[in-house]
Amino acid sequence: MAVRSQLLKGILEGCILAIIASETVYGYELAMKLQNQGLDVSEGSIYPILLRLQKEKLIQGEMKKSPSGPNRKYYTLTDAGKESLLTFRENWENVKKPVDQLLRSKEEL
Amino acid sequence: MKSLIAQNNEKRKLLNKENKKIYEDMLMYVRLSYQKSGAETEEVLMELLDHLLILQGEGRDASELFGDDPKKYANEIVGELPQTITKKLLMLFFMGVCYFLGVATFINGLISTIVYYGFGRLESFETYYIGSLSINTLLSLVIAFLVVYGCLRYIRWSCFKNVSKTFEFLFAGLFLGALPFGIFLGLFYFVPSFGPAITLEVYWLMLVGVGFFILARVFQKKA
Repeated sequence: MAVRSQLLKGILEGCILAIIASETVYGYELAMKLQNQGLDVSEGSIYPILLRLQKEKLIQGEMKKSPSGPNRKYYTLTDAGKESLLTFRENWENVKKPVDQLLRSKEEL
Repeated sequence: MKSLIAQNNEKRKLLNKENKKIYEDMLMYVRLSYQKSGAETEEVLMELLDHLLILQGEGRDASELFGDDPKKYANEIVGELPQTITKKLLMLFFMGVCYFLGVATFINGLISTIVYYGFGRLESFETYYIGSLSINTLLSLVIAFLVVYGCLRYIRWSCFKNVSKTFEFLFAGLFLGALPFGIFLGLFYFVPSFGPAITLEVYWLMLVGVGFFILARVFQKKA
């Protein structure tokens, strides 16, 4: 699935922040974790988002040696990133229930 | 950053033929987006290469990473890369100008000196007219700049395409080779001599060339 709309992009950004908040990951690992969650995103779509999150200083990347040898770029959340994740979570909680309800009631008609 | 480029060169050898073609197009395309920050560019290129190598190891296709339209994907990456600071670009520009002038004057001086001392022809000094000299220099710089810019645009345009060799030969040969060279020659032939005249011994040109060269190195360090 290509990330088509701004809405999906925003949600994906929030999910990426949430994963990086819980552990330090590199690109491929992040893609796998998203897929394991059942989020069907194309693997490449994370890299433009990672670049944007770095530009906005929500995450920072650091080239480090990985346990298996080669240098990898590991991402961690900045303070601004933690704040942004909180805001995302709040917005999501506020919008989730009403949208679900609305869609369900339409289905029943 | 240099070591990242070296690492990239090494690692790229591990790609199979198809993946190598598509990755190198991506590499060229992204790197030639020259107004972007170099370090960030190399880092994301390395991430993509690592990711692609893992996919290749699992027998999966490059399209799972780059999607069905690699050029569109490359544009997405370029669009998110931070801009490099203008001061750096400016320094690189002056560096290019000084290298060009340095090489041009040095070679000019070298050839004149060899011809004079080695073959006993010509005069040991040459007269320059400040007016025509500045016009010629300025126009040469503009042409050189256009040719370099044209080359970069052409290479970038040809990424992700199968361009026939004949087309490439004719197009690049004409517009990036014959045409600018013809204009160069025309300039020196047709621009009339005007402005105050100065007369220099020919080997002075080499010294001026070296001067430009040193200046270019200074700009390079500052960039």
